[in-house]
Amino acid sequence: MKYGRFIPHIIFAVLAAVLFCPSGGTVLPWRLLTLAAAIEIIFILRARFDSCPDNRTAAGDIAAILQLSLLAWQLLTARFNMLDKMLFPTPEVVLTLFISELPDMIKGLWSSIILLTGGYFLALSTAIPLGLIIGWRKRLFHAVNPFAKVLGPIPPIVYIPYAIALLPTFRLASIFVIFVGAFWPLFVNTINGVFNIPCGLIDAARVLNLKERTILWKVILPGAMPSICTGANLGLLFAFVLLAAAELIGATSGIGWYVKNFSDFADYQRVVVGILFIGVVVTVITWGTERLERHLLRWRN
Amino acid sequence: MLDITIANISFSYGSQVILQDINLKAQAGDFICLLGPSGCGKSTLLRLLAGLSKPTSGNIAINGTAITGPGLDRGVVFQDYSLFPWMTAGENVIMVLNQAFPGKKKGEYREIAHSYLEMVGLDDVFNKLPGQLSGGMRQRAAIARAFAINSPILLMDEPFGALDAITRAKLQDLLLTLWQQNSGARKTVVFVTHDVDEALLLSSRIIVLGLNPGRITEDIAVDIPRPRIRKELYLKKDFLELRDRLVMALNENIINRLDEDQIVQPPGEGI
Repeated sequence: MKYGRFIPHIIFAVLAAVLFCPSGGTVLPWRLLTLAAAIEIIFILRARFDSCPDNRTAAGDIAAILQLSLLAWQLLTARFNMLDKMLFPTPEVVLTLFISELPDMIKGLWSSIILLTGGYFLALSTAIPLGLIIGWRKRLFHAVNPFAKVLGPIPPIVYIPYAIALLPTFRLASIFVIFVGAFWPLFVNTINGVFNIPCGLIDAARVLNLKERTILWKVILPGAMPSICTGANLGLLFAFVLLAAAELIGATSGIGWYVKNFSDFADYQRVVVGILFIGVVVTVITWGTERLERHLLRWRN
Repeated sequence: MLDITIANISFSYGSQVILQDINLKAQAGDFICLLGPSGCGKSTLLRLLAGLSKPTSGNIAINGTAITGPGLDRGVVFQDYSLFPWMTAGENVIMVLNQAFPGKKKGEYREIAHSYLEMVGLDDVFNKLPGQLSGGMRQRAAIARAFAINSPILLMDEPFGALDAITRAKLQDLLLTLWQQNSGARKTVVFVTHDVDEALLLSSRIIVLGLNPGRITEDIAVDIPRPRIRKELYLKKDFLELRDRLVMALNENIINRLDEDQIVQPPGEGI
């Protein structure tokens, strides 16, 4: 693999060549070209300046996969017309639409974010304190555990129709369902986190004669934090799924509704654009939560 | 500077008797080592003193008052886990100060915490997390924290057990220096160890615990004058005699145990 580091450049060159030789009167797909060039530039910068050698090779591999996917997409759709045009829009069409639809999608995103944060923060602010207290107090745990075992595994999606019937607005119903979905993984992981705190640390806290509130806040909460973070990530995943599900069923705005609405009209170009947009949004959110997690758990190694 | 009275303590875990009929009176300012093989219940006895467990029968009194749970009149240093890993060395000390001396200003706590960490030679790691410190530094910080609450009694459960020989020797010297600093108000120390040399170097009295059930088998006053210098100790006849006696007492325990039948099953058999 002496020349392996050139592979991404070669694929980029092939892609550029394909784009520059349009078949039968089509214009140059300059948006796709810009995207491919941007990937190439980022790759070159990272391969040269990243301090970690593993990151440098990873940048090359990622660039190669991205360029190869774009090339395959371009060849299969625009170049050789091998796929159904309605179901498989060309990269250039998707990119063009992505840019022109951005304002609409961002507007939809706002209404989705309100549902997501509403439900998710409600879950955070109830599941964590409850989990801490119930994990800390054995008697409470034994009393609550059977109920958690029955209620926890019910797939929260089944609540959606009932919640819509039960609650006055669709927004409240969605927040409720997202809350339920995020609550259980958070709750169960918080309790497990409390259980997994080394006994020695609890003893160290007890010999200091700390007030119960101080123990819960300064010892149990940080001690359970690794597990709480696991639960928070799982909960967020559930929240995403339920948000999309709720919007597919009953919304009149939002990013999940956007996708559903255009597929009702068989506008699969916009459906693909919407799905890609959701991918970008989720990536940004996960990036943020990973940073937060690293900060909260910086005391581990 | 408080004396401790342990009266007829027994402790069982389920049907297993861990400690039986322990009677001990520690004078204020004593440095007592609980010496014994693993499994003899020496750490359990320390937990009882700390108030972390309650004896099955008997009671423990400090200056005549029975203890009911943990208290700030007793500072405790464990082998590990003494510090909270999510707080810096400084925050660990400040938290204890907050608890022991409420109502001071933030800056004051910081200053006092600094001075205690300085006392154990750790002032420069005030803002470091325990995970960033070596084992020896962590135990130094734990000692600083135990001294910061200014408790008259110090309970230590094999605090240097996980350290290498040189770090351990340095920390033993540090502990003795701190203990002897104000001779008028010396702390009463109860120190758990299974290391005969450590016990002889540190203590004014050694309690040897035997196995099955845990009980006091020897109670030896250590009159070797201080400061005890390692190089010279090993040339002294009375030190070596005492050392032999303790090693014998410990080995007796071990030899008796080795005589017990052992059932060794080759893997796969008896399943």
